[in-house]
Amino acid sequence: MATEAKRVTDIGPPHFEKFLHPMIKENFGKWKYHESLAPGVLAHTGPAGTIFSVRMSSARLVSSNFLRMVCDLADKYADGYFRFTSRNNVEFLLANKDNIEPLKKEITDKGFLVGGTNNAISNVVHTQGWVHCHSAATDASGLVKVVMDELAEYFTSEKLPAKLRVAVACCLNMCGAVHASDIAILGLHRTPPRIDNKTLPNLCEIPTTVASCPNNAIRPTSIEGKTTVKVDEDKCMYCGNCFTVCPAMPLADPLNDGVSIWVGGKISNARSEPMFTKLAVPYIPNNPPRWPEVTSTVKQIVEVYAANAKPFERVGEWINRIGWPKFFDLTGIEFTKYHLDDFRHAGTTYRRSVQNRY
Amino acid sequence: MADELKTPLLDELEKGPWPSFVTDIKSMAETKEMPRDLLRQLEKSYEDKRGYWKHGGLVGVMGYGGGVIGRYSALPEEFPGVSHFHTVRVNQPSGWFYTSDAMREIIDIWDAHGSGLYNMHGSTGDMVLLGTRTEELEPTFQALTEKGWDLGGSGSDLRTPSNCVGPARCENACYDTMEMAYQLTHNYQDELHRPMFNYKFKIKMSGCPNDCTASIARSDMAVIGIWKDDIKVDKEEFAKYIDDGFNVKEFVVEKCPTQCISVEGKEISIDNSNCVKCMHCINRMPKALSVGDEKGFAINIGAKAPIVEGALFAQSIIPFMQIKDGDYAGLYDLIERIWEFWDEHGMARERIGEFIERVSLATFLEGVGLEPLPTMVKAPRDNPYIFYEEYFADEDAGEGEE
Amino acid sequence: MGDISVDQLAEDCYAIVAENAGQKKVKAGDLQKAMAAKYGDQIGRADVKAAIKQLMDSGRTVYGYFGGSSIELPHKEAAENQ
Repeated sequence: MATEAKRVTDIGPPHFEKFLHPMIKENFGKWKYHESLAPGVLAHTGPAGTIFSVRMSSARLVSSNFLRMVCDLADKYADGYFRFTSRNNVEFLLANKDNIEPLKKEITDKGFLVGGTNNAISNVVHTQGWVHCHSAATDASGLVKVVMDELAEYFTSEKLPAKLRVAVACCLNMCGAVHASDIAILGLHRTPPRIDNKTLPNLCEIPTTVASCPNNAIRPTSIEGKTTVKVDEDKCMYCGNCFTVCPAMPLADPLNDGVSIWVGGKISNARSEPMFTKLAVPYIPNNPPRWPEVTSTVKQIVEVYAANAKPFERVGEWINRIGWPKFFDLTGIEFTKYHLDDFRHAGTTYRRSVQNRY
Repeated sequence: MADELKTPLLDELEKGPWPSFVTDIKSMAETKEMPRDLLRQLEKSYEDKRGYWKHGGLVGVMGYGGGVIGRYSALPEEFPGVSHFHTVRVNQPSGWFYTSDAMREIIDIWDAHGSGLYNMHGSTGDMVLLGTRTEELEPTFQALTEKGWDLGGSGSDLRTPSNCVGPARCENACYDTMEMAYQLTHNYQDELHRPMFNYKFKIKMSGCPNDCTASIARSDMAVIGIWKDDIKVDKEEFAKYIDDGFNVKEFVVEKCPTQCISVEGKEISIDNSNCVKCMHCINRMPKALSVGDEKGFAINIGAKAPIVEGALFAQSIIPFMQIKDGDYAGLYDLIERIWEFWDEHGMARERIGEFIERVSLATFLEGVGLEPLPTMVKAPRDNPYIFYEEYFADEDAGEGEE
Repeated sequence: MGDISVDQLAEDCYAIVAENAGQKKVKAGDLQKAMAAKYGDQIGRADVKAAIKQLMDSGRTVYGYFGGSSIELPHKEAAENQ
């Protein structure tokens, strides 16, 4: 292993100041207001002047070629300055207003979209999926692609009642903020882990594996003199926590793995407090490459929301106003026993009033 | 490498208006084997409806326990190009601001040492360099540090702190998220690179309650900008909104969660003592309304996704705090008290939110030296099972107070 | 810092990791607790951190990860492809 004397560690990230456009540096901490000039175009003004941000779609999973293209566009139109948003969009930072339209044109000519601001569907926060993850129950990049193909008009316009945040996570680990999005697509396993008794004794620590199960479904056992584990299948809820600590307990099951759809979460404190997403559709089988059942259901939810919500009402706020029974009515989504919570705080979700709408 | 790349299923993902990751990876596959075999393995996943990756646990750069995620193909003979496909997490600059020059340096490094594929960015905030071989990890690390970049976190450590644009491009910023992320990251390099906690610990910083980094849902410690005094009103600009026909009654007054806004003609008045700083009115009328002058941040703690005990939003522990004259000592002190108590009494793989639920908020507050406040709860308890710690002994019963 | 050197702590920590190799994944917190139990007030958390850093930088131990980070002797990874 290379251990030359000059090896340095713990230097941390570079200071951000050298990446800031001069206009941003001058207005740092002194911004007065912002305006929305068009979908995907924001203008922030401070005492030193205005910086224009042009927001471009990105697949998040990108290549050197894509990034070199971004760099070239930044050099041509934005003095070399750009940033990424917390939802994986690219933002070019322009001091010259006249560059906005040529930049937008070049972005669209190259096959990318400008948008994602205000009452739009912004980019999708998502995870690795089959592209790179060991525990994925579905593909994330593919789902994002097909869902956003369907919803692209809501990225490039601001015609929704409020902003709408979509997230995709490929298993219950939810590396992608699925638990607090307006609409979330969550990959899930539906069958217990299959135990590889040959490799488990060497690969896994028995006490850690047993302790990893939130439902106490895993017990130590002995097979041919070697300690391994067994799973009480009635207690297993397919969370995959055991697989994370013990790779000899894979859950992947092509026949049963699939996707669930969740709605009504939000993160910001605007108007109502942050809310968790709630179950809308418990299971849709994986149907790659374009998951048509998923895209049509998501589109249906978006369209019903767009037609029924009041201005500036997020999906969760809209559902709270009209009630969940009406949500299922309006969207045509079937309500099943799987919608009834039976985990830790289940009772808090049961209706304890007679405030029904007839 | 010579055989033709046939991916009929993935080709379906080259259609449609949204940017195609398949088209993009294909463009790299023309010159590199790794993206090529990635596509071939992914095509097989699309055929078989399952993933083909093995999780590695030992790879990394020397001395660090974080920053590299080991990944191996489960089908290395079929797809030798991705037999190793490790991830390198690179600590992003505050607010994800870049220059093209700096970005090109990173691209050159990754073209030389890895797949030429990335996530911009990962869920925690890092630049994620996707896919390289074990023997390339150390050279990648050395090339990165030469250009001033370092690795982010992974495993049971402090994960890379991340922040919204804050004062760099937002009038709502109530504190300097950019500088705080920089300071925290540099102050806690050891905790970031050498896992020493029970489990991961994420810090996210948002400059106002709009919370653009989703800190309240996605971080163990959410630092959210807030102000204490009155919302500032520009009367002339407010009048202009009315003149322009903006429906202030429906879009602002009726949306206020505490009904603390009233409008008469072109005049607005706000009962600031009842305002909960939700941001809605300021978001709607950015030219007329703005955050107050007495600015700082609130700290909430313990958010996480469902694994294992259910999802949690972050719980309020500090309603208001300020950084004065760039002095972060008070914040560091609080963070270290929290870590120490969690280290001492938490269990392996127990996030701090779950830890607080298990030991109770009261125990946690006592452990880290904070006073209970009514701002920490939605409501006081509604059950009578109180663990009293003080009793009157019999002999004192008749004596009354001193 | 009392009379116990970081070198001494590193040896003690190494012994625990070696003893548990292949049986139990030792975590940084386990070493902190073991050293605190052995030396009490003579040492602090920072001393144990320094000892672990020394073991890592010298390559005598490496970090491992399966759902949580551990400190292990260098060995061949089970998942590794040749």
